[in-house]
Amino acid sequence: MEQFDVVIVGGGSAGLAALKHLSSKGIQSVLMEAGSTVGTKNVSGGILYSKNPQTGKVYNVDEIFENFLQEKPWERQITKYILNCVSKDKVLSIDLTDSHEYQSNFGCSVLLNKLNSWFAKQSLEVAERNGGGIVNGVHVRNISWDEEKGKTIIQTDELDDFEAKAIIASDGVNSEVAEITGARKKFSPPELYQGVKVVVKLPEEIIEERFDLSPGEGTAHIFAGDVTLGHIGGGFLYTNIDSLSAGVVYHYDSLISNPMGPNNLVNALLNNPFVKEYIKDEVALEPYPDKSLSKMEQLRIKFAVNKLIKRWEKLRFEYYSHEGKKRFLDDKEFNSIEDVKSKMDAIHKELLEKYNTRFETDYVELEYSTKLIPDGKRCRMKKPYIKNILFIGDAAGRGLFIGPRIEGLNVGIDDAVRASNAIKQALEKNNLDVASNYLGELYSQSVQESPYTMDMERIDKYYIKTIIDTAGKQIPSQKIGKYRLLFRLFQNDKLRNISIDIVNKIGYNNMLSLIESEETYIHTPINIAAKLGTKTISEYSLSIPELSQRISNLSYNDDPQSHIKIINPRSEFMKKMVTLCPTKCYSLEGEDVVLQHEGCIECGTCSPETEWRHPRGEKGIQYKYG
Amino acid sequence: MSLNIAVIIKLEPDFSDGNVSYNPDGTLNRAETKTILGHHSAIASQAAFYAKVKYGARICIGTMGPPMADLALEQSLLLSDAEELHLYSDRSFAGADTLSTAEVLKTGISKMNDGKAMDIVFSGFRASDGETGQTGPQTAWKLGFTFLGNVISYEIDIEKRVITALRLISYGNNSLIEQVQAPLPVFIAIDPSYKSPFITVSQRLSASRYQKEAMIRSRNYKSLLKIFNAKELGVDPKLVGLPGSPTIVYKVEKIPKIKSNRSAQTVENIDPNNISNILEKIHETIA
Ligand SMILES: Cc1cc2nc3c(=O)[nH]c(=O)nc-3n(C[C@H](O)[C@H](O)[C@H](O)COP(=O)(O)OP(=O)(O)OC[C@H]3O[C@@H](n4cnc5c(N)ncnc54)[C@H](O)[C@@H]3O)c2cc1C
Ligand code: SF4
Repeated sequence: MEQFDVVIVGGGSAGLAALKHLSSKGIQSVLMEAGSTVGTKNVSGGILYSKNPQTGKVYNVDEIFENFLQEKPWERQITKYILNCVSKDKVLSIDLTDSHEYQSNFGCSVLLNKLNSWFAKQSLEVAERNGGGIVNGVHVRNISWDEEKGKTIIQTDELDDFEAKAIIASDGVNSEVAEITGARKKFSPPELYQGVKVVVKLPEEIIEERFDLSPGEGTAHIFAGDVTLGHIGGGFLYTNIDSLSAGVVYHYDSLISNPMGPNNLVNALLNNPFVKEYIKDEVALEPYPDKSLSKMEQLRIKFAVNKLIKRWEKLRFEYYSHEGKKRFLDDKEFNSIEDVKSKMDAIHKELLEKYNTRFETDYVELEYSTKLIPDGKRCRMKKPYIKNILFIGDAAGRGLFIGPRIEGLNVGIDDAVRASNAIKQALEKNNLDVASNYLGELYSQSVQESPYTMDMERIDKYYIKTIIDTAGKQIPSQKIGKYRLLFRLFQNDKLRNISIDIVNKIGYNNMLSLIESEETYIHTPINIAAKLGTKTISEYSLSIPELSQRISNLSYNDDPQSHIKIINPRSEFMKKMVTLCPTKCYSLEGEDVVLQHEGCIECGTCSPETEWRHPRGEKGIQYKYG
Repeated sequence: MSLNIAVIIKLEPDFSDGNVSYNPDGTLNRAETKTILGHHSAIASQAAFYAKVKYGARICIGTMGPPMADLALEQSLLLSDAEELHLYSDRSFAGADTLSTAEVLKTGISKMNDGKAMDIVFSGFRASDGETGQTGPQTAWKLGFTFLGNVISYEIDIEKRVITALRLISYGNNSLIEQVQAPLPVFIAIDPSYKSPFITVSQRLSASRYQKEAMIRSRNYKSLLKIFNAKELGVDPKLVGLPGSPTIVYKVEKIPKIKSNRSAQTVENIDPNNISNILEKIHETIA
């Protein structure tokens, strides 16, 4: 049987960071990823942070991937961070850039397919030097120990069994490794969020003009109030290079008590007039064929119009992009940028006048995705290991989701380095004995020392102060209703320290239901917006794709073998899945919930009460953006 | 012991959506149609790649075609990480049927890898643009190699120089898998259902290493390319091109559409009465 030093299960950003770090320490490491290529199964919002805590050390992306800033596998550096309180068409925007910059080196918007592919390339180069690498399209099915012979055996759906001296489980929130090995129970709804996202196409320079940005610079908007349709959580709108990421993240519990289709939840955000104005674009619509013409002529016109629209869209996207402009001139296709503009306008005119093509204000959606997110405050594994398996990132239930602070990617990267360091030390000491727990304890201790762990356990008074100070500047305290007293308390240094100490003594966990309440996420923002907000008028209507259209736009490698089995088709939970599954894979037939699974995007929403596995290697959803 | 492998491939029209253009008489408009490495040639390249990963084989790819056929060689290189590319291109090869193509390919194969003998030659199942699946077997016959058609997997005992292959045999509506053994050298026409069985982690790792290598090599594929005209190849002019072709494409006819003179009745729902009506009609027809 083949044996490797370290096997990493799961090629999300956490697993890939582990591969890079282990390999750069000269340790042979092999990463197994279920997707046909790395990045096709990952989803984020997402802003990736590099942090700089006042006490303690975290391991940042730019430290592990040295040329991260120069090679730019990211989208834009976020320089403005705005919280929007929303009530119908009224919005109060509060500048929270200070809280975004709190103990940060930088934060940049990312699309995970692009980011993880870059991570993979960087890691692979180093891994191959030590006889390691990345194996795509492999689903790890089982891990077992032959303790007598001191063997750890990994079984997959695709390959002969093999052995590892140590394993890093970076298989995400729906970690099968955790379940197979009994390292932790499945996460339950109170411990999770559901995130839903769409990627919206928009030309680069139009983004810059609309969001008032310099080239390369980006803005993040987050939303609270009535856009949540009564759920605890919020929305986001992040600028990428030539697209926007718009989405919502809600407490799973809150969705369970008031089930609503994820599709509709994200639509509520898109339909808000304030958001509509940001995502809008000029869209060409194919004209209806003139039925009096012959079928052949209709077809000919259809092809001609289609070709022209494609050409116009391509020219326009390139014209409004910095690189695109350069490309035009480098390729010598046009003599000047003005020529490009004239060509674009000429096609526009031809489409309009010759072919009756309509140009409308609308938006263009590129991808719809959903995924569960672990709430690190509630579900972080206290012992993130079992025997010689170390859990990192979402698999270990680690993520910092505290008000506007949304961080999971960076936490996973920090875990990855800690796990790699522990393995290096244990290998050097030649102590990977599964009975001794030496490796696990080493890692556990290191994770406990991570400033992120502290942030998941305790309220950070300085962080809260940053938010309250900035919010206080814009909102007169008499407008904050119930939170007026709290604001006053926090603005006073002494009282703030005392009160936070008390809260931390009572325990973060005990306070969470008070802090993360409808009052905080819904009612107060609505009140503030209603009283202080500015009205936005948006007069166009969005043609939001039907769910079936969203699903058919996704790429799948279908597997006739189902990866999900319903345990109890009559449970209350499963009945809620009929609404909560983002791709409507469940339906009610009589008393029983049945699974169709054709559109399953492996979000894991149904996993708490199903026998849930990832599909076999290369099968299932393949995101292009993530 | 090293293993020498040749793959013979073909540049073909890209029959995927929107890439094909026809002349008014229904024949293919080659000037307007995009060309790519043929689908079956791609599978043959992948089959050769298996031997590279598993046995460290050295791969050489050959094609007969116009100068632009080097595009297919580049694409095949990407799939097989080949070390040498051959293009057999000469005006006198025009009008070649399968037999005279086989003559060119046989001669080309004998020039591969500095004239060292090949252990395996791979070809695709057939070409997609009207070929009959004859070039492979005819090349094998000309080379004097054992011919194995419809191969779906193979393993080699390098020491004994013996290949064990599985062949998918179809007859009527049935198919069966036949296991055969043959001493090297052999000629393999690969089955369209072939999939490289990389079943160990190490094989997967080396496959991805070789794929990366292939990417790098393909950027500079012209340096691996050897172009031969009829003279350089040293073929007998009577055996290639039109003179060497006992068959010729005489005429291309469109496949006529079935005339539809049937009338249909739509049954809207699954009313039991309707169903029994349908059944009655079926019975009537059969009777
Ligand atoms: C809508 C949304 C918004 C978010 N916003 C942000 C944000 O702004 N900032 C931020 O930092 N974080 C954000 N997050 C969280 C962040 O995206 C996650 O914390 C992070 O992506 C998790 O990375 P990971 O590597 O731990 O897991 P994943 O990315 O889930 O990777 C797990 C990998 O393991 C593979 N896998 C699973 N099981 C197996 C198996 N058995 N065999 C082989 N492979 C397997 C999967 O295919 C997958 O590629 C957001 C998340 C969502 C959904
Ligand atoms: S069936 Fe698939 S898409 Fe639907 S909830 Fe379950 S995992 Fe998500």
